[in-house]
Amino acid sequence: MTNANNTTEEKQLEQFMQRIEAGDKIEADDWMPDEYRMTLIKLISMHGMSEIMGALPEKEWVPKAPSLQRKLGIMAKVQDEMGHGQLLLRVTEDLMKPYGKNRADLMQDLFNGDLKFHNVFHMETKTWADAGIIGWLVDGAAIITQTDMLKASYGPYARALQRICAEEVFHAQHGESIILALSEGTEGQKSMVQEALDRWWQPLLMFFGPASKETTGSSKQDLTIKYKIRTKTNEEFRQIFFDKYIPRILSLGLKIPDPTFHFDKNGKLWMYEQPDWNEFKKIIKNQGPRSEARLNLRRQSYEYNSWVRDALSASTS
Amino acid sequence: MGEENTFYQEYEIFSKRTPNSAFQHQFSLLAPNEDMALIMAQENFMRREPVADIWIVNRKHLKRMNADEKRTLVRLENKEYRTTKGYGYLKKKWRQYEQEMLDEKEILSWGGERK
Repeated sequence: MTNANNTTEEKQLEQFMQRIEAGDKIEADDWMPDEYRMTLIKLISMHGMSEIMGALPEKEWVPKAPSLQRKLGIMAKVQDEMGHGQLLLRVTEDLMKPYGKNRADLMQDLFNGDLKFHNVFHMETKTWADAGIIGWLVDGAAIITQTDMLKASYGPYARALQRICAEEVFHAQHGESIILALSEGTEGQKSMVQEALDRWWQPLLMFFGPASKETTGSSKQDLTIKYKIRTKTNEEFRQIFFDKYIPRILSLGLKIPDPTFHFDKNGKLWMYEQPDWNEFKKIIKNQGPRSEARLNLRRQSYEYNSWVRDALSASTS
Repeated sequence: MGEENTFYQEYEIFSKRTPNSAFQHQFSLLAPNEDMALIMAQENFMRREPVADIWIVNRKHLKRMNADEKRTLVRLENKEYRTTKGYGYLKKKWRQYEQEMLDEKEILSWGGERK
């Protein structure tokens, strides 16, 4: 047996990369290079916070949902999203332990803008069709990136994603159910769906991130692929999203709000007009249409519920 | 922030789906005590799946293996005498006596009423 103390960091790194290459799973207590740890912390904390940042505005739809069945459905989804946030923050906390940080630090990072949340949760929702499009297409987009990471090299994240993806299937079907009902409804309901798709088209393209880091100055996609956290690039994810969803969108009689959009048979690629990546940069810096409002929802719920934390801390003496 | 450090503890959650199934590790969570951990385990991990029992274990009470210890788990590939694989030739033998081999599938089906 090798004595870990005598092994140089180089040797550890070599062994670590061998494990990654062999498809081994890395666990929280295993040695890992700082770059790997930092990449995971960034990725998983952003994922976890986004789940919660998405659940907060989504819960606002509960009173407005059009029937009891719909209210129960969206309440269950909100509960799931909060649960996903819990799982993912737990995974992040174990990774942050060597730095002496915990969940409260993540919360501060979110409030002061160091921890980003997904671009889609900075956007405004206007009608019930938006709630449908979010479940159907935003959750659909999330499923595409998350199922790719089910085999991620970091065991705790892969296992959390197993649970999350299983529940996301329900979320996607919940969204489909809303959209199909509206699409089979009145002319007014149909145009409501088209307007929601028009609103969400750009955010959906942005969801996967720019094709290369030249667009926004930085991208984690190379590192996540190097460490076998995921297998595909942002653009590959976007193309898979088109493969799966464009035929379904068109089958409902909806129009893609991009006149240049088409499938290039030779290159086997969907061609589309690039979204405004400068706008994307602003959005992820918390300068999107609803960034501040959503952060305030988070702040309010953090402050409003502080009595729970106080009560819990008092009970352990 | 520091205050929360003192009251949250890490719990590992195990549960089983049916009375007859084995316990399976679900995930970990933070809670101030076992009772809260149990409530949160149900909230977080058992919203849909059937559950027959739940175990809550404080992480500090778990003995876990380090990387070196895990390396001792690798098995040698020369222990066929321990498994049915090493006795597969019996099937051919029994055929000479016009008998079927009593293999694992057959033997484990023997519970219950006499057929």
